[in-house]
Formats: sequence, C-alpha cells, structure tokens
Amino acid sequence: MRDRPSGFTNPWFQLGFGVVCVLVYELLQKRGASETANLSEVWSWTGITALVSPLVWLAMALMIISLVSWLYVLRYIPLSIAFPLSRAVDVLIPLSCWAILGENISSRRWCGIALVVIGLMLTAKPVAQLEEKL
Amino acid sequence: MSWPVFFLIPIALMAFVAGQLFLKHAMESSAAKGFRDAQVISFLGCGIFSMTIHFFVTLGLLGHLDLSYVYPFQGLSVIIISLAAAVVLREKLNLRLTLGALFISVGIVLVSLS
Repeated sequence: MRDRPSGFTNPWFQLGFGVVCVLVYELLQKRGASETANLSEVWSWTGITALVSPLVWLAMALMIISLVSWLYVLRYIPLSIAFPLSRAVDVLIPLSCWAILGENISSRRWCGIALVVIGLMLTAKPVAQLEEKL
Repeated sequence: MSWPVFFLIPIALMAFVAGQLFLKHAMESSAAKGFRDAQVISFLGCGIFSMTIHFFVTLGLLGHLDLSYVYPFQGLSVIIISLAAAVVLREKLNLRLTLGALFISVGIVLVSLS
C-alpha cells in the first residue's frame, strides 16, 4: 500500500462511502426492477425494461459514484484486501431488505451474516495493525 | 425457479470477477503510466464493459427474484477474486486473508440459500 491521503480522500473512508452507495443503489435497483418486471414477458429478463423506472436511473447514478470511489480505492489498497472488506454490504443488504422491504431473515441467514462478520474481522485485523504502525 | 436463473447467475458472476480484475490492473498501471496510456484505457474499457454486462444481467434477475436471494451469489466472487488477485495480479495472500475471504464467501452463500 503506497502513501495515502487523509480526510475525504482517504481510501479507507472512500471504501466505506462506496459501501453505502452500493447499499442504496441495490435497494433502488430492486424496487425499480420489481415495478417494471411485468412490462414484457421476454425482455424483462434482460433488464432493459427496468430502464423506464426513474429509481433505476437514480441507482445507475449512485453506481457510477460508487465505481469512481472504488477505482480510487483500488489505486491504493490491494484487491485481495479491499474487495473482501467491501462485502460488508452483503451483511447490510439483507438487514436493509428486512428493515425496509419487509423481507424475512431465517435463522440460517442469520448464521451466514455472522460468518460474513467473522470473515470481515479476520480480513480487517491485519489492516488495522498495519495502520497503527504507520 | 426457471432456467434463466441457472444460466444468468454464473454469467453475472463471471462478468463481475473479470471486471474487478480489469479495473484493478488498470488502476495499478495508471499510477505509473497515467490515464492517457492506451493499455490503461483498454483495461478500463474492458472493466467497465464487464461491469455493464453484470449490471444488466443482474437487473434482469432482480425483476423476478428477491434482492436478498440474487445478490448474495456474488459472495462466491470474494474467494474467487482473492485467489485471482494472488495469481493474476501477484498480490500477497496470507492464511488470515484467505480464511477471511472463505468465511465471507461461505457466509454469503448461506445467506443466499436461506
């Protein structure tokens, strides 16, 4: 990892910012795609019909922002560290679907969420130790 | 569950993994060569093209399935990308990082199977 800027341009901050952007765009994408799923029996599987939804366009704008943020992160942090950490979103999405979209979380799903959290801690610990030394 | 799900989910996954590797390689190269270099531009283009395929295939899947079902399949990409980064990009991958990636992948698959 090369020398990193601080504040808003800090790559670790950008990693967290990108996770929030992905979380919001996935929720918008789901809602927009669901609203437009029945417009065409064949074409709806391609995702093209979802483009009539403004929520999908908003999701795409957030996706571009998260992509720019992610590219910035990749310039400073190895992919084998940054990518697993960015999957914090995989815990946040089921929790958000449960809280906002009213989807169920089974006991097996809770176990999966716990495993993801353990994995994130395993990945983040050496990074935190490295940051302390710097 | 219909046939497009089994066909489209692996396509979305492969496009995502390839996209991440292309983008990382482009950003690594850009640090030394800048963004006007032809190789950097071509890797960026390939990365964005792969991610675009992933985006539209995922949109198609989301129209018919729950987000909390479709999205976690990308969990497999964690361990695949970690290993690919070590092999293709020659990043250092120690036991702790490998275990971390494995836990995250298994956790996300468990979430997706629920």
